[in-house]
Amino acid sequence: MKTLNSKLPFYVLMAALMGASAQPVIAQSDADLYGDDVVTAGAVDDPLESINRVTFSVNDFIYLNVFEPVADAYTFITPDPVEEGATNFFRNLKYPVRLAANLLQGRFDGAWVETGRFAINTTFGVAGVFTPADSVDGFEPIPAEDIGQVLGAWGVSDGPYLVLPLLGPSNLRDLGGLVGDRAVDPLSQPFAVNESWNWEWRLALSATDVITSSPTIIERYKQLKGGSIDPYSSMKNGYTQFRNAAIKE
Amino acid sequence: MKKIFSVFLCVVLGFSSVLAAATKPADKLMQTVRGALDLVYGDCCVESTIEHKQAKVRELIESNYDMTILIRRAIGRNWNKMSADEQAQVLELVKQLVVKAYFKGLEGKSRPEVTFDTTLQVSSKRIEIPSTVVLDGEPIRVLYRMGLMGADWQLFDIVAEHVSVVSNYRQQFDDHFRKENGAALITKLEELLKKDKLDENIEF
Repeated sequence: MKTLNSKLPFYVLMAALMGASAQPVIAQSDADLYGDDVVTAGAVDDPLESINRVTFSVNDFIYLNVFEPVADAYTFITPDPVEEGATNFFRNLKYPVRLAANLLQGRFDGAWVETGRFAINTTFGVAGVFTPADSVDGFEPIPAEDIGQVLGAWGVSDGPYLVLPLLGPSNLRDLGGLVGDRAVDPLSQPFAVNESWNWEWRLALSATDVITSSPTIIERYKQLKGGSIDPYSSMKNGYTQFRNAAIKE
Repeated sequence: MKKIFSVFLCVVLGFSSVLAAATKPADKLMQTVRGALDLVYGDCCVESTIEHKQAKVRELIESNYDMTILIRRAIGRNWNKMSADEQAQVLELVKQLVVKAYFKGLEGKSRPEVTFDTTLQVSSKRIEIPSTVVLDGEPIRVLYRMGLMGADWQLFDIVAEHVSVVSNYRQQFDDHFRKENGAALITKLEELLKKDKLDENIEF
C-alpha cells in the first residue's frame, strides 16, 4: 500500500498523459477545423446569382415595407387565439397537398396521420379552427410534406437556385413542386373548390391566407437576416439545407 | 506482478479520464446555455446596461468554449486570404456580431425553455447534444456538435432546425471572398455592428 501511495502521483500523471494521448493534439489544425462534414463551398448551384440578387432586393423591400406592416397590424388587431385559429384553418384546408405528397412518397403512415388529423380537426375542431387531434394518440402533428419533397425523394436534384418574386427562395425542383402543390390545393386552380365563387371572395380568401401566415414568415425571415454578413447567401444556404433535410427526414 | 498491476492501473485511470471527459460536455453546455439566459433574463442583471450584459454573456461563453474554433470553421480556407492583422480583426468583429445576434434573437421575447436530450456519441472524438428551445411557444430543435480537441470538448457547430450555422456562414464567407477581400469584410462587419443597434431600453 505504501508503494502504491508513493507512486500515486506517477499514476495520476500517467493517467493524465494517457488521457491526453488518447485525444488529438489541440484544435485548429486544418483537419480539426475543416476536416469533416461542413457543406462545402459553392455547394448551392447558383448560375442566376445576379438576377436572383435583384429579385432578393425587391422582395426584401416588399417584405419589410408591405408585408411587415400588414403582419404587425394583423398581430396587433387580432387576439392570439383568433390568429392561431386562422392559421389552423388554412393549414387544415391544405390537407390534400400533404396527403398527395405522403402517398407519392409511399409514406402510408404519414397519409393515415394526415387523414385522421383532417377528419378530427374538421369535425370536432370546427372546420379546422381548433386542433383537437393534437391530443389524440397517434395523430399528433407531423412535419408537412409537399410535392417538392416528393420530387426530391424520387431523386430529382435541386437544379439551379432561384429567388421567386414575392415567394422568395426556391430552386428548379421546388418550383416544379409548387406547380404540383397548386394542382392539388383546393384553393387554387385547376381543381379549386371555390371556382364557382366570385373573384372578390377568392381574392379575399387568398389574401387572408397570406396575411395569417405572414407574421411567422416575416419573423423567421428577419431572424435569419439579422445576424447575416450577406443575407442573400445566408438565405440561399439556409433554404437549401432546410429543404435537403426535409427530403431526407 | 507489481508491473502488471501498475500498467493495469494506468490503463484504468487513463480510460476513466477519457470517460469523465465524455460525461462532462452536456453538463457544461447546459450550464453555459442556462447561465447566458440568466444573464439576459435573471434578476442579477436587471440594472445592467445592454453592453454590460453582452460583455458578461461573451465572457461566460469564452470561459467555456473557444469561439475561435466555430468562427475559423465558418471562414474555412478563406482564412489564409487575410493578413494576420485582418484575421485578428475579423475574429473580434464576428464574436461581437454573434453576441449581438443572440440578444437580437431574444429581443421582446420571454425567457425560452431549454431542454437537453441524451448525448449521442458519433465517434470517439465527436458527440452531438440535441436540445429543444421553446421560444414564444414555438419549439425549435437545436443540435450542438462537439469535438474532442486536446483535453476539452469544444463546440464546433450548432444546427438549428437542420440549418448548420457553420455551413451557413461558410457560404457567406465563400461568396464574399469570391469577389472581395479581407479589408472589405472588415468594413462590412463594422457596418453591420453599427447598423440596427440594440436598444438600451430593450425588454426581454
